[in-house]
Amino acid sequence: MKNKRYAIVLDTEKCLDCKACTVACKAENGVPLGRENYRNWVEEDELRGTYPNLGQSSTPGQCMHCGNAPCKRVCPTGATGASPEGIITVNDKKCIGCKYCMTACPYNARYYSEKLEAVDKCTFCQHRLAQGRLPACVETCPTKVRLFGDINDPESEVSKILAKRRSRVQKAEMGTKPYLFYLI
Amino acid sequence: MTTLAALTRRPGQLAWFGFLGTGILIGMIAVASVFLRGHGHALNVTREIPWGILISTYVFFVVSSTGLCLVSSLGDVWGFDKFAIIGRRGHLLAILTLVTGFGVMAMELNHPIRMGIYAVISPNLSSPIWWMGALYGIYLILLIGEFTGLMLGFKKMAFTMGLLGFMAAISAHSNLGAVFGLLDARHYWYGSYLPIYFILSALVSGGALTALIVYFNHKARGKALNPTYTEFMLTMGKLQALFLGVLMFFVVWKIIPGLYGQPPEKYEATMALLTGPLAVNFWMFEVALGMVIPFVILINKKTRTPLGVTVAALLSTTGIFFMRYDLVIAGQIVSMRGEAGHAGLLQYFPSLAEMGIVFGAITLCLFLYTLAEKFLPMEGGHRH
Repeated sequence: MKNKRYAIVLDTEKCLDCKACTVACKAENGVPLGRENYRNWVEEDELRGTYPNLGQSSTPGQCMHCGNAPCKRVCPTGATGASPEGIITVNDKKCIGCKYCMTACPYNARYYSEKLEAVDKCTFCQHRLAQGRLPACVETCPTKVRLFGDINDPESEVSKILAKRRSRVQKAEMGTKPYLFYLI
Repeated sequence: MTTLAALTRRPGQLAWFGFLGTGILIGMIAVASVFLRGHGHALNVTREIPWGILISTYVFFVVSSTGLCLVSSLGDVWGFDKFAIIGRRGHLLAILTLVTGFGVMAMELNHPIRMGIYAVISPNLSSPIWWMGALYGIYLILLIGEFTGLMLGFKKMAFTMGLLGFMAAISAHSNLGAVFGLLDARHYWYGSYLPIYFILSALVSGGALTALIVYFNHKARGKALNPTYTEFMLTMGKLQALFLGVLMFFVVWKIIPGLYGQPPEKYEATMALLTGPLAVNFWMFEVALGMVIPFVILINKKTRTPLGVTVAALLSTTGIFFMRYDLVIAGQIVSMRGEAGHAGLLQYFPSLAEMGIVFGAITLCLFLYTLAEKFLPMEGGHRH
């Protein structure tokens, strides 16, 4: 049997830009206060059309838990690693604060946490997964933008929806092999 | 007491030590403020521009070290006898600039002690920063070996260490270019250009600094340059004109691909240099002071005098300091996520603490060099 490989599938059409995911993440993971301290975000896309025919959508994001992660490659002490399920992790004790991973990440998914004294990022709420619970951002979303699951299990929700609908990943041209899939 | 008495007899020296002492004190206050207030408050680096002036100053110092090593090895390693007279001084300053550079970088790192531990027990060999530490470490040991050989007159040791040190300098320094050049997320840096460019620009730094140490050593002692040193300065001037010419060629070919076809991110970063927030640094310091004016001074036979070479060297060194800053900041100035309404360039300006550390580091390096000049026999070491 194949290892689990966790992924998130996002249906951005459903996103209200309410930022509940960001708040839930900060509360769940004890992210320190401050504009620059966050593990996930909601990006406002370009405004479409001209008045009165206007449209705008939002794109939530977080660490893409890349299959070919540049942050992991450049970390001098191996503080950044990957779990067997593909979750990109940071071992706080090994982090020297060189911030090389922050310059290497094409998604700006990392920040330096003065509280942890290490670089911090999304872990798909690993501690909740161990209890059989969903990541906080997935659970809290009022419109169920995010679906979380094991992409190696063909019966999982994420596998089924990716089979049914077309999707894209962010900055595919970078070759990072992200595991956040955006439905088209 | 005797030192103080000697100092008061020479007011110029007193002023020099007063200046250096003030600089070191400012640096110490800045370092203390980082420890007391924490990196997050004392430094102006951000989530999106995590590398600031401390990293660019580190680059400035280690580029200087490499350049000094390469240029001063011309004498004792490659047999260009005219350069043998700067062997000891050049290698000493190469050691001091390298060590000071490490110190500045340590202030940017949040946990330099952890680095010492985990770089050894948990190395990641695919990390260019890991290789940077390892190669610069080897380079430092070889530099010290070569300097010791030169000071003690062990010519064979100096030659062997010098040859190995030369190779280590090239490896370590091109790898430093790769620390930036292997980041494919950063379009302005990515590619094989930076490792090559770093070696070339190190020659400009090294050439300028060797000219400066020769001139100011004589000036401080109130001595005129003897014919050997005058000849050295004129040769160095010609060589420096060549180095600057090649550097200008490199700068032009860095700019053109950044503009041609407006490649995403690279174009915005290039425009930040040409017309944006880094334009004053670029045109005034990098181009005018750093390259064009020194080049004009050095290609003109009338102005290529020891004083002219010194002025050109001073201008180039200043320009190169800005060159490093612009390189580090331009590579990060374009946001990784071009969110609507935040499409402009990111902003960074060094904090007082950052500037204090930089000033402190420069003065500390000059102070250590001045002390070495006072207490070590820096003349001699010629390969005859």
